[in-house]
Amino acid sequence: MRFILLFAAFAVLGLSFESALPRLVSFRELIPNLIIILAVDLGLRHHGVLPAILAFAMGYATDALAGTHPGLNAFMMTMIFLVSYEISTRLMVTNAFVGATVVFFGVIATALATVAIGAGFGALADSGSMLAGLTLKAAISAIIAPFIFSMLSSGKRLTGLPARAGRE
Amino acid sequence: MRGGFLWRNRVLLTSGALLIVSLHLISTGVHPGDLAARPQSVFLEIISPVDAAFTRLGEGASSVVGDYLDLLHVREENARLREELARVRSDRALLAELQVENRHLGELLELRDALGTTAVAANVIGSDATGLSRTLILASGSSNGIRPGMAVLSNQGVVGKIIAVSPHASRVLLIDDHNSALDGFDQRSRARGIVAGLVDDGLILKYADRSQDIRNGDTVVTSGLDGIFPRGLLVGTIKSVHREGPGLFLGVRIAPAVDFRGLEQVLVITQPPPRLDEPGKG
Repeated sequence: MRFILLFAAFAVLGLSFESALPRLVSFRELIPNLIIILAVDLGLRHHGVLPAILAFAMGYATDALAGTHPGLNAFMMTMIFLVSYEISTRLMVTNAFVGATVVFFGVIATALATVAIGAGFGALADSGSMLAGLTLKAAISAIIAPFIFSMLSSGKRLTGLPARAGRE
Repeated sequence: MRGGFLWRNRVLLTSGALLIVSLHLISTGVHPGDLAARPQSVFLEIISPVDAAFTRLGEGASSVVGDYLDLLHVREENARLREELARVRSDRALLAELQVENRHLGELLELRDALGTTAVAANVIGSDATGLSRTLILASGSSNGIRPGMAVLSNQGVVGKIIAVSPHASRVLLIDDHNSALDGFDQRSRARGIVAGLVDDGLILKYADRSQDIRNGDTVVTSGLDGIFPRGLLVGTIKSVHREGPGLFLGVRIAPAVDFRGLEQVLVITQPPPRLDEPGKG
């Protein structure tokens, strides 16, 4: 229960931050995607059914506040969780660099999926102008990912949870 | 049991099932009243107050930072005067903010009276959480009479339409989102088309016939034929017209009339517009 509450609190704060900030910052590409960082942390460090469901739920909560195709963020967060989980179990690496790399590609993949599902795959050819901003957003998300992982570890310690849950 | 196939692959199987559920949601969509729409409404309801608080906090922080920078230049003054100055400035900023809000609401009321329809004013409290789509979050929802599909306007022109509601919050799809489309026409030439958003910002007028005399600077307004937006509302002005290349239609770019980033209050039309004939005919 503490585990769910911790991630729910981080997700609510992250989503509210991402939603409120574009009105104060003129360049929205500077705002990182915090939910993807949470999904990567779940996949790398928490191997079980509950973390998978949490990743899906965080994506579905994002769908309530973003985008026009409900289920798209839920799909992408589950996919990012799964990729992180596979990297963690098969390659046996869970360090912050690997996490940041998955975050970087996760942000780009999510954006391209949003354009492809929303406007059709043909629109990807016209999305060249958004690639620079998107790469910047992905880079910023990747750079702050280790700090968020560290905050999550602190949160887990404070609530008495193990930093790495491992297999159930 | 713990060594069994299902147990060993439970994460993969759960994730696979969730991916299938997600794909089902994407392909079928979530309609108001659906079981799948309820969690969305709950999420929107939970997050919107925190979102509003973050927005207020952010605006407050900007104001505090501004005040602090100003105060650095008056070090010689004593603490009481500084506090007094900060308080007066804060009050003045608040008063100015209230005046602006009052003016916006007054303009929206004038707009509502001019339209002769029922409408509710709503405060904008957030933007699209991922920044990948162009949506806004309003601090009013179904308890204020707002329903999906309703038109959203500002005193500058057409803003978008409601796509999701919870009791005390709602989401607006802006007209410059790549999923958005509305029926509009060039006010001077009467050329009709579909105003749609682009992936890389801006608006286009789709399906405008090559024979039409559309020119830069022309005004584009809503036709009222889509059953969402009342006729004659300002959408934007023609930015460029491309006649080169193959195809049946013109390439027309529109500069939106509304500054979507600066929106603070909007008007939601709660009464659908009457059905109309094509412009120039009706």
